[in-house]
Amino acid sequence: MMLLRLAWRNIWRNRRRSLIIITSIVVGVLAMSFVEGLSRGFLKQMFDNQLGAHTSHLQIHRRGFNDNRIVQNFMDEGARVSSMLEQNANVQYFSKRVTAYGIISSASNSSGVYIVGIDPKREAKITTIDESIAHGQHLSGQRHEVVISKRLAETLGAGLGDRVVAMASSLDGKVGAEVFRVVGLYQSPSSAFDRLFIYIPAENAQEMLRVGGRIAEIAVVARTLDSVAAIKADLESKLDESYEILSYQDLLPSLLAQLEMTEELMWIFYLIVGLAMIFGIINTMLMSVFERIREFGVLKAIGMKNGILFCMVLIEAFLLGLVGTLIGFGGGTLINLHLSATGLNFAAFSEGLASYGAGAVIYPVVDYAGVATGMVVILSICVIAAIYPALRAVRLQPVNAIRYV
Amino acid sequence: MELIRTEELEKIYHDNGVPVHALYGVSITIRKGEFTVIAGPSGSGKTTLLNLIGALDAPSAGSVMFEGENVASKSKTELASLRLHRMGFIFQAYNLIPVLTARENIEFTMMLLQISERERRRRTLALMEELGIAELADKRPNEMSGGQQQRVAVARAIVTNPSLVLADEPTANLDSTTGGALLDLMERLNREKDITFVFSSHDQQVIQRGRRLILLRDGRVERDSHVAG
Repeated sequence: MMLLRLAWRNIWRNRRRSLIIITSIVVGVLAMSFVEGLSRGFLKQMFDNQLGAHTSHLQIHRRGFNDNRIVQNFMDEGARVSSMLEQNANVQYFSKRVTAYGIISSASNSSGVYIVGIDPKREAKITTIDESIAHGQHLSGQRHEVVISKRLAETLGAGLGDRVVAMASSLDGKVGAEVFRVVGLYQSPSSAFDRLFIYIPAENAQEMLRVGGRIAEIAVVARTLDSVAAIKADLESKLDESYEILSYQDLLPSLLAQLEMTEELMWIFYLIVGLAMIFGIINTMLMSVFERIREFGVLKAIGMKNGILFCMVLIEAFLLGLVGTLIGFGGGTLINLHLSATGLNFAAFSEGLASYGAGAVIYPVVDYAGVATGMVVILSICVIAAIYPALRAVRLQPVNAIRYV
Repeated sequence: MELIRTEELEKIYHDNGVPVHALYGVSITIRKGEFTVIAGPSGSGKTTLLNLIGALDAPSAGSVMFEGENVASKSKTELASLRLHRMGFIFQAYNLIPVLTARENIEFTMMLLQISERERRRRTLALMEELGIAELADKRPNEMSGGQQQRVAVARAIVTNPSLVLADEPTANLDSTTGGALLDLMERLNREKDITFVFSSHDQQVIQRGRRLILLRDGRVERDSHVAG
């Protein structure tokens, strides 16, 4: 304790110098903390939007469907799978879908789309499309209704109440087509999504595609993200190889790779900021050691071992770093906590953000594990920076150091 | 009982590459309980001899035996341990740790010896009472006079009950009255606690108080005499 007390008091011998180095640590750490929170918030939004818009936590298909989403790869009506899902306590909701790539045409234009036939009541529990309705309403359950995005509506020159034709390749090799009335316009955070996805009643989709009672997939929302693996394992143990059960990790590998890459990039970011700090800390500690040459000589004379002296210098650097990181990360966390509630408006970049599937308002995320990691990294850098000055202290010859002026 | 014995001790320094012979063949023996002054003019080798006796420096030739053990055979860690356990040091410039209070400065060596905090506190306060510096317990060195600082330094040097206390010009920065009081204190400690003191000094006040005088001149022992009474 006395060594700690001594180290603490030593760092305040030159208050101005210590405050300068602490301030540099605070600024660096605050910046890192804020950028990390913002990055995590951006990626979380992308991730949540992807899962919430369509992917869900888990999808069950006939094997091969995910690689080739054609009607020939549809599965049966899914009664057996539905029963398993209803009995699984980890499953919160699930919904059957009938999907196909097709074309939507209005009087003035047409566009390639991904047709999603849904049970609107069940689908509303697993995706956020019903919350994204900007004009009109979601599918009511009546036949021949369609919900499209505002962006697609502009492309087609169509509006609420207008008739459009959706068509796609059917199971018998012909082109299936149906007329639909636009009942709702949605706007999601992703411009790419908006360009592509349209929603029609599942029965209409099955008729159009002439698949009878078959479906393309069953989308599942788990009670928690952690229970997805358990649901997958349970289904795999009960279903034969004719099914493929894909978790969101299987369905969104590139997004998850992006998330992982961001984690790695944060380490590199920490390292760069740390390297910038390290030279300031080395300089501060060297100056502190040179100012105390005589004192170190006396300490060695009265019997302080080199190891203890070495540790004392390292502890001083650690304490400098601790003050800086606590203030920096504390401040950064408070800022991120506040912004996680209010959001940060990047309206000027909304188009670009939409192309990534993120909204214009980003809500930073506080990751306490990330804060702890950052603290460990910066504190380690502070201690490493003090090694050379500590070695200089240890190598002092007491007989010369005592007489140092 | 023999505490220190030096045999044909030599020390050569190199000053900008020029060899400086600080000690020539110094052979002395210091017994337990002595109150010895190593005196001589500036450059006579007093501090060099004190540093060699205190295992702060290594001789160029000859040997230093401390309680029968050859100091030269020890590693730096062992020497640090020897100094910590068996010696105390008093410096001309007091050299208290400026960020510690008087009490903490005195406790410091006991902390290095890993004595418990309670025992450290007990011993320190008792010693400070005995030396008449109890009121300085919570003061830092910059809040004390030179004499007070040196008294605290004496307390630091003896609190671990060392066999030997080495004092290098302890009164050099003090006025004669304060220096005299300090010497009174050290004489009392020598008498009552049988602590061996070895001073290096050219201060007449110190020389007159010594019961043994080793006079150095140009690195050699010119005279080694005991003072009667």
